[in-house]
Amino acid sequence: MAYSQPHPRLSVLSNSSHSSAEHLSPTASSTRFSLPTAPSIHSQLSTQKVPLNRPGPSIYDRPLNKSRGAEVSVSAFAFLLSEIVQYTQKRVNGINDLERRLNTLGYRIGVRVVELMLWRSESSSKTPKREVRLLPVLMMIHSQVWKAVFGKAADAIEKSVENADEYMIIDNDPVIERHISVPRDLSQLSCSSFTAGIVEAVLDGLGFPARVTAHSTPLAQFRSRTTILIKLEKSVLEREELFK
Amino acid sequence: MSHHLFVLSPSDTPLYSLTHQSSRPAPSTTSPLAANLPTWSTSAFAGTLTALSGASSAPQRNNDGVVRGGGQDRHVIQMIANASLDAIEDVMRKENTMYLKAVDKFNEWTVSAFITPSNTKFLLLHDGKNDDGIRSFFMEVWELYVKTALNPFQTAHTPIRSAVFDGRVRASARKYL
Repeated sequence: MAYSQPHPRLSVLSNSSHSSAEHLSPTASSTRFSLPTAPSIHSQLSTQKVPLNRPGPSIYDRPLNKSRGAEVSVSAFAFLLSEIVQYTQKRVNGINDLERRLNTLGYRIGVRVVELMLWRSESSSKTPKREVRLLPVLMMIHSQVWKAVFGKAADAIEKSVENADEYMIIDNDPVIERHISVPRDLSQLSCSSFTAGIVEAVLDGLGFPARVTAHSTPLAQFRSRTTILIKLEKSVLEREELFK
Repeated sequence: MSHHLFVLSPSDTPLYSLTHQSSRPAPSTTSPLAANLPTWSTSAFAGTLTALSGASSAPQRNNDGVVRGGGQDRHVIQMIANASLDAIEDVMRKENTMYLKAVDKFNEWTVSAFITPSNTKFLLLHDGKNDDGIRSFFMEVWELYVKTALNPFQTAHTPIRSAVFDGRVRASARKYL
């Protein structure tokens, strides 16, 4: 009940800063995003030094390298992922839709992974590099991205024999699926679509648009072995030809 | 000397922009292209250049007594920034560095760019040569951008409205530009 209305202090801040926030926005059309206007620096300085509604330091005060080796408990992650999958499953019809939604959620992670990972490795260099060739990028996903996200490199990377535009990244024991057993009527489902989304975001960011899907390809000794299938767009292959 | 910074999303929608007037002395004036044309030149080209001379960084007075230039003509600045996107797209396909210095030029304006790994572009219009300063500036903006992007409520297409972000970018502009 008490929270049904925005906090009075919040509304005061956003109203008072309305005019000064306008010249901060890059275009006048930013209103179409229908975001509440953030307090601008001027109004903040004039009202109070530390906004009372936000305790503690801002995200800009935290060093990015501090959490470099930090790890998240697998059980906490498994619990969260389980909730994510259940939540998503209630809101879709069909396996394809579910996989697409998981992919979208993974994409949001991937965008941040690639940005943070490369910042950590390149920001100390005088000439930060952004890879433009396909194979180094795939190798980077196989080793560095997997290490950053799952704590270990993927198990294999293969090129499709039939199609020149397809590559596969294989994980024998994906962390994501360690606590998931897929019921028989959903046997087509692979929850690693989440991982596929991460891979898609990394490729997209570096300028290699692709469609990435996940397929479970179990072996006798690896029950949850998963193949991440990368189908590159035509433009990527054409550009790769030009480099040769 | 004035500087114009634009932060663009992967689909080239503007997320943040900043105009910074540098306190440092302007370098020896490079005469704009328009001034190099012979006075008798009546080509349409010359007319265009006169029309665009508002983009000059040094304020100048035209016949109507209206002061133009000095970075006041935002539409011209935005047009130069927009026009440079083609050049940037070309270069970023073959160059593997994030910092693309002086990718495009228009009159006395030089456009430098920085492409982050997730394909967000920082564009800086400047009229002096200051490669090291600009690189350091871009690196600081990148760090601030990474911190912004890690916020789960931020997507690649939401404009950056954070007051702290704005303050920090202004501070490093004062430091390096």
